[in-house]
Amino acid sequence: MTQVSTAFEVYKFMSEKNILIAFTGYFDHLVTTSLLKNIKNKLSVIQSATGIDKKVYNILVESIENISKYASSRNPHQNIAMLLLCKSDNHFTVITGNHILNNDIPALKEKLDKVASLSSAELKKMYREQMLSKRTHENSAGLGIIDIAIKSGNQIKYDFKQLTDQTSFYLFQTEINIQK
Amino acid sequence: MDSLIIEATEDSPKITFDTVSNRFMISGESRPENAGKFYTPVINWIVKYEEVLYSRKQDTNDDSVLVFIFKLDYFNSTSAKYIMDVLLIIKKFVDQGYNINIEWHYDKRDDDMLDAGNEFSDTVDLKFDFIEY
Repeated sequence: MTQVSTAFEVYKFMSEKNILIAFTGYFDHLVTTSLLKNIKNKLSVIQSATGIDKKVYNILVESIENISKYASSRNPHQNIAMLLLCKSDNHFTVITGNHILNNDIPALKEKLDKVASLSSAELKKMYREQMLSKRTHENSAGLGIIDIAIKSGNQIKYDFKQLTDQTSFYLFQTEINIQK
Repeated sequence: MDSLIIEATEDSPKITFDTVSNRFMISGESRPENAGKFYTPVINWIVKYEEVLYSRKQDTNDDSVLVFIFKLDYFNSTSAKYIMDVLLIIKKFVDQGYNINIEWHYDKRDDDMLDAGNEFSDTVDLKFDFIEY
């Protein structure tokens, strides 16, 4: 009966932590689209006058797209990633996790630290510069992170957990305050 | 030149560029799997439409108002770059003296969409009419 009790532990954990959505698997465009449809329905139930459901949705989409941009392989079927959406009394939390090559960490870390250090006005300036810059893969990924930082009031956090000599698990978290 | 109509999908917006009513609308949700593939024909169409505008003005002195309407529920940051490209072409039309209005529609609960419109308007230096729904 190990499986049933494990499942119950998962259920208890998710309930206690107020996890609305937990998904691990391959994130390709089709999976993302069906997940987002489901999430949109869930969020529409808690629809509020402040439009927080829209803000959470925006940040979720951008966070999921961030997964594929920084995945350790360009082939989505070689990457198992994770998405969590949690809600407490005061905020929503969006967390993504995905495998990343250790070699890619320094450049990403530099970008994340830079974004996290900026004020709202500086973020908007950076957003504008990137928007007018040449379209490259790297730039557009940066734009997503800047967008998340602007929309969340720069409440982003990240961590890297080393898995092997070559890869780590990259966790990216955004908090969205619930205004009352 | 024929109107350009592209139906919306789950991840791409509806395009209604109506050359009869002179209303050019992009509406819905924009996070296509391949934004370049979706927006390139749209942008090429607008660029080509400039020839129509030019000859219409020369031949018939027709200077009707063109209304560009953005009515988006959501767009991702990759789409934002293409929306910027569309606006830069519109800016060129305005600079050439064509009569153009730009409407930015937003859900009244969605401050981020209003902010995004203001940001675009400032960046390309074009006046938008903001319309809540």
